[in-house]
Amino acid sequence: MPSLRRGLTPLLLLLPGGGWLVVFFAVPMAFMLLISLQQGTFDTGYQQTWNFGIYPEVIAEYWELYLRSALFAVITTIVTLAVGYPVAYTIAFRGGRLKNALLLVVVLPFFVSFVIRTLNWRMILSDNGMVFGFLKDIGLLQADFHFLATPASVIFGLTYNFLPFMILPLYVALEKIDRRLIEAATDLYATRAQAFWRVTFVLSLPGVVAGSLLTFIPTVGDFITAEVIGAGNPQVFMVGNIIQRKFLDSLDYPAAAALSFVLVAVVMALVAVYTRLVGNERLAG
Amino acid sequence: MSDQEPRTQIEQAIDNMMRRDLITRRTFMRRAGRGGIAVGALMTLPGLLAACQPAADPNKLAWLNWPLYIDFSDDESSNPSLDAFTAASGIQVEYNEGLLDNAEFLSKYSADLRAGNNTGWDVMSPGGWVVERMARLGWLEEIDHSKLPNWTANCADYAKGLWFDPDNKYSVWWQGGITGIAYDPALTGREITTFDDLLDPAFSGKAGGFSDMRDMFGLTLLSNGVHPEDATLDDVKEAQETLLGVPEGHFRGFYGNEYYESLVSGDLAISVAWSGDISQMNLYDNDKVKFIVPESGGMRWNDNLVIPKGGANIEGAHKLIDYYYGVDAAAMLSEWVGYFTPVKGLDAKILEDADAARADDPEWADTLEAMAPTVIPSADQINNTFTDKQLSEDEEKEWNDLFDAVLGA
Amino acid sequence: MRARLAGLALPGFTGLLLLFLFAPIAVMIAFSFNDPAGRQNITWQGFTLRNYVDVWGRSEITDAMTTSLGVAVISTIFATAFGTMIGLALTRYDFRGRWIMNLLIFIPMTAPEIILGASLLTLWVSFGVERGFLTILAAHIMFNISFVVVTVRARLAGMNRSLEEAGMDLYADGRTTFWKVTFPLIFPGVLSAALLAFALSIDDYVITVFSAGSVETFPLWVYGASRLGIPPEVNVLGTLIFLVAFAFIGVQLWAQRRQGKAAPITLVGR
Repeated sequence: MPSLRRGLTPLLLLLPGGGWLVVFFAVPMAFMLLISLQQGTFDTGYQQTWNFGIYPEVIAEYWELYLRSALFAVITTIVTLAVGYPVAYTIAFRGGRLKNALLLVVVLPFFVSFVIRTLNWRMILSDNGMVFGFLKDIGLLQADFHFLATPASVIFGLTYNFLPFMILPLYVALEKIDRRLIEAATDLYATRAQAFWRVTFVLSLPGVVAGSLLTFIPTVGDFITAEVIGAGNPQVFMVGNIIQRKFLDSLDYPAAAALSFVLVAVVMALVAVYTRLVGNERLAG
Repeated sequence: MSDQEPRTQIEQAIDNMMRRDLITRRTFMRRAGRGGIAVGALMTLPGLLAACQPAADPNKLAWLNWPLYIDFSDDESSNPSLDAFTAASGIQVEYNEGLLDNAEFLSKYSADLRAGNNTGWDVMSPGGWVVERMARLGWLEEIDHSKLPNWTANCADYAKGLWFDPDNKYSVWWQGGITGIAYDPALTGREITTFDDLLDPAFSGKAGGFSDMRDMFGLTLLSNGVHPEDATLDDVKEAQETLLGVPEGHFRGFYGNEYYESLVSGDLAISVAWSGDISQMNLYDNDKVKFIVPESGGMRWNDNLVIPKGGANIEGAHKLIDYYYGVDAAAMLSEWVGYFTPVKGLDAKILEDADAARADDPEWADTLEAMAPTVIPSADQINNTFTDKQLSEDEEKEWNDLFDAVLGA
Repeated sequence: MRARLAGLALPGFTGLLLLFLFAPIAVMIAFSFNDPAGRQNITWQGFTLRNYVDVWGRSEITDAMTTSLGVAVISTIFATAFGTMIGLALTRYDFRGRWIMNLLIFIPMTAPEIILGASLLTLWVSFGVERGFLTILAAHIMFNISFVVVTVRARLAGMNRSLEEAGMDLYADGRTTFWKVTFPLIFPGVLSAALLAFALSIDDYVITVFSAGSVETFPLWVYGASRLGIPPEVNVLGTLIFLVAFAFIGVQLWAQRRQGKAAPITLVGR
């Protein structure tokens, strides 16, 4: 009897959320997997031909897009980490009674629709707009300089949009570090830098990992930033863009589904490598 | 400090919870409660939603249209032409501007249409090739022309019997326009006349293309001397090479509707564009931008009113369609929208309205006067513009794949 | 002096970054008062309050906003509850099939939103479910669960269990221990997760568009309206939502202060 109950508890905890995910995520995904193995056209309908060949086909044709997307995502993650860590640190260690307030200030802009934020950035960063127009007028920039519709601008847009995804987990991890451990380190003659890198940073790694994953993963599949800020420039065309096109423009569902699953596989592989590097225990399994 | 079998400790704690009978049941119920609500909700979902099917109400109509394709009152809170329709017929129209892209539209509603479900719309306004496909797949109601006296009497010839629906069995023309090239002479430094001007290296980084495969390839094919209706796969490959042949970074981007803002702000000096957009731009946002049909030819397109199968109010749909072929409604519409409206006598009506407004609002009167000729395509425009090719499924896939490479894939 | 400057560097940087985060918001608020002649709201043409009056007359906008808020609130509640429970189970228990749960959590985050959206559409159609508010809700809860789990787990990782042990040593039963010790300890994590879920839900475009049918949420409306130039109404509503969120959060903060809920957080730190 007791063993039954012991086994029951995790199950009860998992049931609502897990059940929801099964019904609204796993089942539909299974449908999509089947669709990727179909052939046919929109008009005549699709037949389940188990066309596994579609996978090598899409990989051969679009592998560069995966590379480009992964690269953008990695750069974005690094920049977000570099920018977000100091902020999370400041709030966690220096925030005092303002902690919650500051945290909520970080999150506040993100209660405004992402589309609105991105559109306003596009306005701010337009060639002759308030920033660059001004810089051009005072001669700091050449007249034909433009920031929008370049890879840099897309990374900029992605970084902006994913900062809270990085800052929040970092904060959560940093905040619960026992300050006495740091004190102990300095008592043992560690310099402040050493105390930081060897104690604080190490203890914050679960947050770094969580934040990196929360940033990297959605960034790889992004297509809206590339469209709005990147203006559909061919140099910023990402995997997300081709998937969207195939789903919504070309209506080539098998290819779109196949491209999506390849993306999932690629991301999972990269994440597996990353977590191996960082050390599994830190992931709080 | 912790971590001597911490899990066991916690497990212990929660099991203690379970061990006490009363609390066990209560806690269990509480937790199961949430799960139960979820499961219950799920199970009642189909039932609930099925019960929420819109009942057929002859006094209600739902119309799915493109954005900015209908007249708005000054404060943008209502649509005068629709209000007049409601006043005359007693039918309330739920108007929605959610049609943003032809293929997206098809993708979103194909599932319902294939299953014969009610899509929630009584009238829709898709483009030509979409009408052809929907008709072929049996997704559209046949139009009863005995219920469209206005259309029969007033519709201009150029707007009837088009390639995608030669007998107007399923569709009538809503609004149409031309895809050509727009440019700002101040930024380009010269006049523009050909498609090749768009590819001129002098405009590198400030040229805009379209993300619509049919429009973009269409213009390129024409510039290579090929009519789109007759294009072969080799012709399209050549067109693709023309577009890929420009240096990287020449095209600032391949746009949907967003080119508009970039043209207005000067981020683009020259771009593929739609005629009606530029008419509007000249009136409200930037009067320096000019629109031309390239020498080699432009693309002529239109959107159509169709009645999807499974709709709740087919009678009402017919009434709405016919209403807009009356001269008064057409005037209300085109004085605002600016695309081609094929209603006979429209230009005269607009000039009438111009005269009527001259005393109170001379500026608006001038605007109307300038607009009157533009709502009807001139003979030149008709002769030098061409329509899409009807693509087979294989062709469509091949053309799309070729175009994806131009987009950067 | 150097130490002083160095000490100012971090807060200074943080301050700058917070300003940066607000840049487009500031522009949005400013331009909600713009009085543009045409549809394009990109150059400043004059101050007006007219937009704030006009916007209420446009029912498609106010309806969309109400829908978005409703979906966000409800989906946040459910997703946070479900996700926290899963986070607890994964961190504290060992059970078979753990890897399945991890996969179920993980893949929704790696899969492109478009495939989540399109696959849900397949589900709705297969079961003849008409798309609308409830289907949007189902979709939002689904994609939010994963984010909640990840955020809560980062908090639970390496958490100091001794406090819970202490609770039990003092004869608190399991339930009391959970609600009076564990939950307050993980509350910052849960709150962060809830905030994230809310923001994600309010924002979502891609997944929503497939499950919405003819119902419109605010991002759907904005994206559509923006294709031809952003009307000032967009900025007006953005500003209003922002102010509501601001007020909501301000009230929460104030309530927390009053109840001294700051205490458990510092407990862990010290």
